[in-house]
Amino acid sequence: MDAAPTPLSLDQLRGNLAAFVTNPYPIYSELREQSPTFMEFVPAGVVPGLDEPLAAWGFMRHADVYAALRDHETFTSARNPLVEKGFFPQLVLIMDDPPRHTRFRRLVNKAFTLRRVESLEPWIARIANELLDDIGSGETDIVQTYTTPLPVKVITRLLGIPGEDYVTFKRWSDTFISSLISISLEERMQNTMEMVEYFGKMAAARRAQGAEDLITALVEAEIDGESLQDWEILGFCILLLIAGNETTTNLVGNALSILVERPDLWRRMREDRSLVEPVIEETLRYESPVQQLLRMTTREVTVSGITIPANELVAIFFGAANRDPKEFPNPDEFRLDRDLRNPVSFGVGIHYCLGAPLARAEAKITLNAFLDRFPRLEYGAAPGVRQSQSPVVYGFEKLPLRLHTGGR
Amino acid sequence: MRLVIDYRKCLKSGQCSYLHAELITADPDGTPRVIAERLGEDLRAAAEDAVDLCPSGAISLTEE
Ligand code: HEM
Ligand code: SF4
Repeated sequence: MDAAPTPLSLDQLRGNLAAFVTNPYPIYSELREQSPTFMEFVPAGVVPGLDEPLAAWGFMRHADVYAALRDHETFTSARNPLVEKGFFPQLVLIMDDPPRHTRFRRLVNKAFTLRRVESLEPWIARIANELLDDIGSGETDIVQTYTTPLPVKVITRLLGIPGEDYVTFKRWSDTFISSLISISLEERMQNTMEMVEYFGKMAAARRAQGAEDLITALVEAEIDGESLQDWEILGFCILLLIAGNETTTNLVGNALSILVERPDLWRRMREDRSLVEPVIEETLRYESPVQQLLRMTTREVTVSGITIPANELVAIFFGAANRDPKEFPNPDEFRLDRDLRNPVSFGVGIHYCLGAPLARAEAKITLNAFLDRFPRLEYGAAPGVRQSQSPVVYGFEKLPLRLHTGGR
Repeated sequence: MRLVIDYRKCLKSGQCSYLHAELITADPDGTPRVIAERLGEDLRAAAEDAVDLCPSGAISLTEE
């Protein structure tokens, strides 16, 4: 076998990680032609304690991303060096392969079906409107006052966590999500122990007496005599925090910022609410909340003419695939007349996002509530700030908006 | 009893052919295909589950 090639470092392209994270699109279009690209996936020093850079084959073309996601036997989700080195917890479901993945997915599917989500829409709308009542009108950092609390409140309510525990839950959630970047191993352990204890007690209580909530549904879920163990329920709750909150926050924030910049479209949407759905789907493509996730090759495989050995990391760039000009003509334009079936924003294949119907419902309810209340949206005095730490997600850290209730 | 896929709604998630391979396969490009023209009563529960799990509401069950 040839000696391992030297991975392309992001510094060579763009100066630094923050510049890449806040606007990865120019780099994607530079690299797409030569994709798969052997590149630094995690630069040295970004993860505390990880001194060597991690390299991965970056997949940037839509066709390659699509094919890899459908071939879970060649591209496994169950092996991840960040987990093996102890930097990240082994998550249930999303870091699993069949047959374990299949059993688990069947058991949790029931709680997140489109039909179930549709029946939740009235109370999701109530939560949205309560948040907007508190904001009133005028200038507000929408990330702080709306897009962050919305999904956390929805998921706590779904799980059946009492309202007074919301603040604790939010802290766990934040610690877990930022864990890779800025939190020490000790803090993360402490956090995990608190969560284990909390969810353990909750699951036990629901086994004793059921309630109308997701934890009860998980405790009671059974297929062919199989049900979930307590640790699996806990693991699933942790997964929901990681997979469901910041992603939805970013989708809603990205959609609002796109619409602030298009006042004509906002006016048209106020007249014609059938535009809400295509606006959300095109936002998912144009500014994908999940930009990249990892796989590992289980065997040698040739992709776009490049041979990748077995046991190599692969970074699947959802964000780059969604801007591939071969699949989406003029990919850097936000357009409502595209074929909305082709973006890979929620993944493809066995790991297709379990929360897609819920995320779409939260986005739809949000846009409709904003359209009902605000004839006009404007940026606030300070500019929006994109998060610049994690290349995995794309969204705003701060997004000050001026909300106009009256007039035109 | 028949399973019907509405291809205007299908987002090619791949979930139906993954979880109900006895009812639905997928083309190489990911497009799902119903295997059997008609389904017997023994497959009703599976067919209803397939309808339920589709994230885009593209699958339906007709009685004819
Ligand atoms: C806009 C919001 C969201 C986006 C863009 C998104 C994106 C994704 C993507 C790309 C995957 C595939 C992962 C892979 O292939 O490795 C995924 C999986 C997953 N998502 Fe989401 N997600 C969102 C919201 C949610 C929500 C609200 C929930 C739950 C409440 C959720 C729960 C999950 C779970 C559990 C998985 C793993 C499914 C499996 O492995 O079978 N997501 N998501
Ligand atoms: S589950 Fe629904 S969206 Fe996914 S491939 Fe099947 S029909 Fe299409």
